[in-house]
Amino acid sequence: MPRARRLQPAAEWTEIASTAADWKAADPALLATMLGQLHLIRAFEETVLELAGEGLVHGPAHSSIGQEGGAVGSIAGLRSADGVNGSHRGHHQFLAKALTHVTKGRLSPAELVTPEVAEVLRRTLAEILGLAQGYCAGRGGSMHLQWLEAGALGTNAIVGGGVPMAAGNAWAQKHAGRLLHRGDAPPAPPDMDLTVTYFGDGAVNIGSVLETMNLAAAWELPLAFFIENNGYAVSTTVGEATGEPRLSARGTGFGIPSYQVDGMDPLAVHLVMEAAARRMRSGEGPVVIEALVYRFFHQNGPFPGSAFGYRTREEEAAWRARDPLDRVAAEMSRLGLIGEEGIKSVRDQAREAMREAAAALVEPDPAAGGTGGPHGASPRGGTAHKPGARRIRPGLWPDPAFVDVGIRGDAAELAGARTAEEATFGGEASRGKFIDAVWRVMDRRMTADERIVVLGEDVHKLNGGTNGATKGLAGKFPGRVLGTPISENAFAGLGGGLALDGRFRPVVEFMYPDFLWVAADQVFNQIGKARHMFGGKNPVPLVLRTKVALGSGYGSQHLMDPAGIFATSPGWRVMAPSTPFDYIGMMNAALALDDPVLVIEHVDLYPSEGDIPAGDLDYLIPFGTAAVRRPGRDVTVLAYLSMVEQARIAIERTGIDAELIDLRFLDRASLDWETVGASIRKTNAVLIVEQGSLGTSYGGWLADEVQRRFFDWLDQPVQRVTGGEASPSISRVLERAAIARADEVAAGLERVRAGFGAGYQGGGSR
Amino acid sequence: MATVVRMPSVLAGAAEAAIARWLVGVGDAVTVGAPVAEIETEKALVEYAAEESGIVGRLVLAEGEAGEVGDPILVLVSTAETDADIDKALGKAPTAGTQASRGAASGSERSFGRSGEPEAAAVTTEGGGPGGLVATPQESRIFASPLVRKVAAEQGIDLAAVEGTGPNGRIVRRDLERLAATPPRSPAPAPDRAAAGTAQPGVSVADGAALADGALVAGTGRESPAGGRLIPHTPMRRAIARRLSESKATVPHFYMATDCVVDELLALRGRVNATVAGKTVAGKVSVNDFVVMAAAGAFADVPEANVTWSDEGLIAYGNVDISIAVATDGGLVTPVLRDVGAKRLSQVAREARDLAQRARDRRLAQREIEGGVLSVSNLGMYGTLEFSAIINPPQSAVLAVGAARPQPVAADGAVSVATVMRCTLSVDHRAIDGALAARWLAAFTARMQDPLGAIA
Ligand SMILES: Cc1ncc(C[n+]2csc(CCOP(=O)(O)OP(=O)(O)O)c2C)c(N)n1
Repeated sequence: MPRARRLQPAAEWTEIASTAADWKAADPALLATMLGQLHLIRAFEETVLELAGEGLVHGPAHSSIGQEGGAVGSIAGLRSADGVNGSHRGHHQFLAKALTHVTKGRLSPAELVTPEVAEVLRRTLAEILGLAQGYCAGRGGSMHLQWLEAGALGTNAIVGGGVPMAAGNAWAQKHAGRLLHRGDAPPAPPDMDLTVTYFGDGAVNIGSVLETMNLAAAWELPLAFFIENNGYAVSTTVGEATGEPRLSARGTGFGIPSYQVDGMDPLAVHLVMEAAARRMRSGEGPVVIEALVYRFFHQNGPFPGSAFGYRTREEEAAWRARDPLDRVAAEMSRLGLIGEEGIKSVRDQAREAMREAAAALVEPDPAAGGTGGPHGASPRGGTAHKPGARRIRPGLWPDPAFVDVGIRGDAAELAGARTAEEATFGGEASRGKFIDAVWRVMDRRMTADERIVVLGEDVHKLNGGTNGATKGLAGKFPGRVLGTPISENAFAGLGGGLALDGRFRPVVEFMYPDFLWVAADQVFNQIGKARHMFGGKNPVPLVLRTKVALGSGYGSQHLMDPAGIFATSPGWRVMAPSTPFDYIGMMNAALALDDPVLVIEHVDLYPSEGDIPAGDLDYLIPFGTAAVRRPGRDVTVLAYLSMVEQARIAIERTGIDAELIDLRFLDRASLDWETVGASIRKTNAVLIVEQGSLGTSYGGWLADEVQRRFFDWLDQPVQRVTGGEASPSISRVLERAAIARADEVAAGLERVRAGFGAGYQGGGSR
Repeated sequence: MATVVRMPSVLAGAAEAAIARWLVGVGDAVTVGAPVAEIETEKALVEYAAEESGIVGRLVLAEGEAGEVGDPILVLVSTAETDADIDKALGKAPTAGTQASRGAASGSERSFGRSGEPEAAAVTTEGGGPGGLVATPQESRIFASPLVRKVAAEQGIDLAAVEGTGPNGRIVRRDLERLAATPPRSPAPAPDRAAAGTAQPGVSVADGAALADGALVAGTGRESPAGGRLIPHTPMRRAIARRLSESKATVPHFYMATDCVVDELLALRGRVNATVAGKTVAGKVSVNDFVVMAAAGAFADVPEANVTWSDEGLIAYGNVDISIAVATDGGLVTPVLRDVGAKRLSQVAREARDLAQRARDRRLAQREIEGGVLSVSNLGMYGTLEFSAIINPPQSAVLAVGAARPQPVAADGAVSVATVMRCTLSVDHRAIDGALAARWLAAFTARMQDPLGAIA
């Protein structure tokens, strides 16, 4: 019989409840502020439901009615520089943060609605209605509320999706002091800003959340994981979804001190948050707070959950009896801080403020009441004609022309930068390997720009990661080269949060491109979309490095070329250098740019040699320019990365007078149409060359764009060279058969030659 | 199940062919591979073998009768079939008539199969196997690349007359270029070409690869109704015809003439060409170069004349761009000298010589023949005394320059002999009124007669 010894989790796990003494000891101004916020949020949510009932809210309106206590209790004491983010159900947190920001954390029950408060209510409502004056210019709507100035980092429609980004914000808060710290003076005792990330009981089971808990604990980030456990994910109960329904237990698995608290008691939540904040601000790391709350309505819309049969009216009535608004009012009147009148006045002021906010945005529908007429067309369609119906004030909609504005920046930040091209570079240069250009330019940039932080798996060891791409950096830049746990979603998202914060420039490395699928939510839903989705203004400067490893024998799950997926995902810029000289200038451009940039490397290029300028690692390759590597008259060959060289070999072999263009900047917004177009007008034939498999390939969208832009200049179909349909296998023979190299490019050139017809004179095979 | 057999594309590029001799008659049973007819083009006589078996139901063409490629020549039937079935098969199949109604192309049609060899007749199996009904309409369509279609439309090239050698018989850029490089099959009637007193659009495919006469209909000259010989049009000729007809029909021309006394000009030219530079071919200046310089000078003196008409408004130019008419084998080409006002005589001479040479070599780029305000057309070297020319749209004037000849002139009451050159200006009245044109012409004359300004 083996011997058993009971082990204990290292982290504390505590349930916290308020006492009468706590209420008595609480600052009356705090209680008044919480009461005011609770009522403003409740009135706001009632207005949203009312407008939703009238069909004026496009899309879902996830009401937070019943859950206000958790948000207000945890946020009322925060600084403006503290960050919060949340989920699809995030109106209450956004409002609490915005109101705390504009009122500096103090609301007066006698005069609840200051002009600043009214503006927050109106602009938040406008955002939810999708109107131009909203915080995100109407783009975000109910589920994407962002106001960075107030520390509202952006709510998220992907369950758990905002959590990794919050970790990035917390990382920036933890390390921002280093940027300010100068000289030999000892750093002051830490008093960090902190971040609270809110999510529901459903989100506790998703990888983003769990990965981030692990990462935040490992890196001791000032981040509170705030679980709003309302008992249901849509209609699925907590008990159905997990074997440990005490959700704060999750924290202890990661060594994170965890609390459970009654979320219907705002003061209890506040007290937990005070304790948690002390820990976070002093640099001891994250906390988990589980607040037990209840949403009085269904997932969205104005009906109770019981109407859908997944819970009972008795259960709802029991929770309604514990309404956080009533709880605070009752405690305050018990303490003599407010009377019946005062409470009613708070409620009335809040409702009146919302009436005004709504009136500024909607108006009586002229088509209502059966009068009809062509001018009253309401966006909600058929039900618009009931008497008393309202409509959005037509002038308030965003301009439809705004639809694609701000997907990315305009690259104006690169204006005036010094550029250089290998072909015309006059300075001294020495031969060097591509891989050396990779670490040398990063070394140079990290020396010059202390904002740059490198993160990825094993980047800090093995003398520069698995390929030597970060050689020497970890030793030279302590704390700025971060070896991550294997959790691509969490560390990519952390990079995204860092980028959104703006004080640091994250350089994230994916060891292999296929891992983008593991991190796809953060890469595409978050990083790629964040700028546009939140209104098009707030930049997301992040560099993602990865290497194409086609030919290396790593098989089906390591050997994709990510260019196609990124080029077709809005928000990302994509760069693919083919020489050491270009790598330096393009990495400099990527790091200077205020957009997310994927910089693709290729293992075949790492040992290749080229000119590396001596003592000048600061130039940029002129942004958005392709390079004509070989002029020619017969066909325009478009290639990138290692395929530039493969295409050059194939061209020489076939003897076809091809113009070889190294695209370099691959995404839709950065591609050099001028150079490509001039070449196509000359050659009238196009061959797009890439190495990887067909399905996710890059050339598809490019071929489409080429034929639409240059149809009248084409003398034959746009031809393409790609790998096979399947992802390459490990077997050497099968892998070779699955990818494209010079032979396949030559075959492509022959297809082009067949398209020349009998009149073609040039280029017999050599 | 009547089967229509169509005129095969016996010879790549031949749009039509004739039945020289039928080797079968109505009622004969035909098996696959059996010879059914001798088919003749201008180049070849080939025996044509059946692709399908059946009984000959009807010979659609008589011996000696020609048909376009794709026209029905013979109908094969099964025993049970009647004349009505044959009519139905012929009626349903696309006929030459419906093909000819396609677009603005000439009547000559061809089908594009794999090029080169005598190839299978296009066979339509009425109600039969898959592909039959689909294949025929496709084959009767002309396949040409987008680029070729654009160039053909711009230059009035009849694609029906061009052999496609790209995939699926597609006409590709190099097919046009190949035609351009091939000399015309019928001798070009040179005299009536060179004298067209104005410009026509140059002909060029992308990036200066020029095309011209070669795009002749690849047939023999046919008898015209009047008994003369019909010389098929070249694309260039069509383009000249179209542009100039349009100009004459839509641009209200008026004309005015001037006599320029050019003794001083000729003397100056002699001196220039006697300099060291002038002794080289590259350094020589022509009388026409002086004319171009004088015209540019006149625009400097009368800038209001530097305009062209458009429906939206007059377009006024800062630079003076002047075309020079160059006679080439294929017809007249008018390359444009840019910003002449800013250039020295020697530079204008050099550029004009280069443009003229490249025009003759058919190596001009499209952009080099576009734009300009005025063309200078000089037939003086042929001894032409005077002529008037048709404006080359969108330009607003053309200056027709005659020969310089010694003539008696009266000056200060005395008659003396001077060398006189008559220049006739054709003007677009929509853009330029008579008085303005007169002022310009006076300025031009003054410049011609005081040529030092051209080299100062
Ligand atoms: C990744 C992902 N899966 C599913 C959804 C659809 N969805 C939206 S809200 C929701 C329930 C979330 O439940 P919970 O996290 O408990 O939050 P609550 O709605 O209770 O506030 C689901 C399944 C989503 N938005 N994102």
